[in-house]
Amino acid sequence: MKMANVFAKNLSSKQVMATDGTEIGILYNIVMDIRTGDLIDLIVKPDMSLDTSKYKVDEQYILLPFESVRAIKDYIVVDKNIARGLTPEPVEI
Amino acid sequence: MRADITSLFGLNIYTETGTYVGKVADLVLDVDERKVRGLAVSDINKDIFDVTSRGVILPYRWVITAGDIVLVRNVVNKFRKANKVVEED
Repeated sequence: MKMANVFAKNLSSKQVMATDGTEIGILYNIVMDIRTGDLIDLIVKPDMSLDTSKYKVDEQYILLPFESVRAIKDYIVVDKNIARGLTPEPVEI
Repeated sequence: MRADITSLFGLNIYTETGTYVGKVADLVLDVDERKVRGLAVSDINKDIFDVTSRGVILPYRWVITAGDIVLVRNVVNKFRKANKVVEED
């Protein structure tokens, strides 16, 4: 499904949620590449109850790769495995 | 060069020939392509933008670099006749 373009300021302080429904935190900022315009990481202020040990931590924030974003509307929904920098587990046939 | 997107807000935009364009009011993000699509520009230079609106959106591919200011490709004369240029991207 194609997501519409969004204004960056509309995203500030949006709730970040995983695809399994767990709350991750509040969006604080986004890291971009100035030259190419690529969006690289979400900087998220983690929820108090979140175990941050599984994420890339930068001081009081956690960094989630932008590839993990599944949807942005009223919430920002991210794929937990990709957000933790893990590749999806290989499926055994 | 990596930067937080908020670091661009409020920066003055100039063309490579030194003409003032406006200020960065916001960024337009394409979530599917994981890219910044455009710059929402406020306080525009009315001499180069023949528009009645308060701001314009410039395609991000016109940006050369950004630091203390944002430098864009020469946009002077692009908006004289066809305001549509802004909508095209």
